Amino acid sequence: MIADPQLELQPIKIIQQNQEKENKVKFVKAVLLDIFFVFYSIIVVQRAIYYKFILELRDIPFSWGEVGVILLISIVIGAAWTSTKTSLSCKLFGISKDNKVTKWTLEIFGWFLFNITFIAGWVITRLSLVDLFSSEGIQGAERIFGALFKPEMGIFNDAVFAMIETIYIALLATLISIPPALLISFVTARNLMKDSKFTFVIYYILRIVLNFVRSIEPLIWAIIFSVWVGIGPFAGMIALLVHTIAGNAKLYSEAIENIETGPVEAITATGANKVQVVWYAVVPQIVLPFLSFTIYRWDINVRMATIIGLVGGGGIGTMLMQYQGLARWHEVGLIVLMIAFVVWVMDYISAKIREAIY
Amino acid sequence: MLLKVENLHKIYKNGTHALKGISFEVEDGEFLVIIGLSGSGKSTLLRCINRLIEPTAGTVHFLGRNITHVKGEELRKVKTQIGMVFQQFNLIKRRSVLTNVISGKLGELGTFSSIFEKFSQSVYDEAYKSLITVGISEKADIRADSLSGGQQQRVAIARSLMQNPKLLLADEPVASLDPATSNSVMQYFEKINKEMGTTVICNLHFLSLVRRYATRVIALKAGEIIYQGHPSEINETWFKTIYGEEAEEVEIR
Repeated sequence: MIADPQLELQPIKIIQQNQEKENKVKFVKAVLLDIFFVFYSIIVVQRAIYYKFILELRDIPFSWGEVGVILLISIVIGAAWTSTKTSLSCKLFGISKDNKVTKWTLEIFGWFLFNITFIAGWVITRLSLVDLFSSEGIQGAERIFGALFKPEMGIFNDAVFAMIETIYIALLATLISIPPALLISFVTARNLMKDSKFTFVIYYILRIVLNFVRSIEPLIWAIIFSVWVGIGPFAGMIALLVHTIAGNAKLYSEAIENIETGPVEAITATGANKVQVVWYAVVPQIVLPFLSFTIYRWDINVRMATIIGLVGGGGIGTMLMQYQGLARWHEVGLIVLMIAFVVWVMDYISAKIREAIY
Repeated sequence: MLLKVENLHKIYKNGTHALKGISFEVEDGEFLVIIGLSGSGKSTLLRCINRLIEPTAGTVHFLGRNITHVKGEELRKVKTQIGMVFQQFNLIKRRSVLTNVISGKLGELGTFSSIFEKFSQSVYDEAYKSLITVGISEKADIRADSLSGGQQQRVAIARSLMQNPKLLLADEPVASLDPATSNSVMQYFEKINKEMGTTVICNLHFLSLVRRYATRVIALKAGEIIYQGHPSEINETWFKTIYGEEAEEVEIR
């Protein structure tokens, strides 16, 4: 058992090389993050705090040249700061020097960032207690809440039909979403796709596409499709469908990523191929989570369907929008009560079903 | 010679150096037991042998063939010849015992027939035969997760028997079982080793079991072999070297 000295050395070298590579990547990330922090601080302090809060300007001067200059300054400061290894990002990525300067930077700059963010938020949202409690405001609130307690029952039948439309929009969107979401979820599960470069590229691209689709709210999809296929329940259904596929594929694939790895290992060890491993070791573990997610998604979709009705997706939301536009608050009151009731019932039913299948 | 491992190294992505130049040979029909503390590299070694993981350096020869870096279909072929039993049984919980046993045959079955679970009568016969070998053929139709730990491990053994393996690997097969059940499960390994002539490589913790079943012992410490020999030669001094100064032997019967 006399080992070749060259082979003996090799493993340690590999470990060192890996570490060096990792530290380089971390440093680049830290530089970028530090530049962002500095840029953010300067922009926020200059625009939100100096111009708006202190000078109380109505129209804030803006030019790309100015932003460019600030960016240049931040790049210089950020890069310099990171290279001292005492910056906030160095600490975050774990490559900082462990001394007092780092500690102070962390405390002072962290606190500074938090505060300017809070002040900027205050300025931008025009937070105003005066508006909230003015006599005019209180009157408006009385009008709305009063209507809720005296709903107009004359439109009850129409509202029920619209509600049924909404529930079916949600149901159909959920049902149609199942097959495509299933298919996509298997190719966006990291543990199934990481083995070869080719599949990993597919995984990566699909993940990006899914994240993009999901980051566009159903409300916006509804606007897009109401132009595409015309205002009405079909536009609403398609909008929900698109978002549901993206959302559920993500949830399903996470369920696949969270399975017990033991059975997968055992079936792989028998010499089974990829498809067999998935069918025997993965699928039995994910059937229940999939069912549960799908039912929950239907429940969410009923709520979403009322909202996308507001932009022309059909159903009860569209009806609500019409009466709100006419300022007929008692009709609005009835619709709001009905939505609340149906959402509550759906929530209850879906929770019960999910309890029962587990 | 069945298996020849030479100067095997495994370094995980996180930098852990799990195996540091392991070399040993296994003859046909041996019952080799590997002992050592948790984290000494026992599991990694087994997984390098049946190529669930790929070694960083060194070679593994199985049946005279270098399998250290085989890929794809060839790798599957190699895997079908090596059975494996795990500490956590790793059965498919929601499926029947019979389906679990048949899943050991997947390497030789077509993709479509296995998805639709259309198996030939000979596969069923073989599955029942395996179940009879481990003595639980009467449980064939019940769900795997309703069995006790010892029974689940026997199903796992039956599953590996479906492969007609030349080599059976067992990764701490009795570590989650009580002493009495441990012994009965070990007896099935002995039976397979003696009656079918299958070579067994088994990770174990309890020395009393090692002395009773092993024909040869390898002790690992921090990824290196520190002892090779007959189980009866492990005395107090060796025991302390393998398990550390404070260790004391626990007897189970």
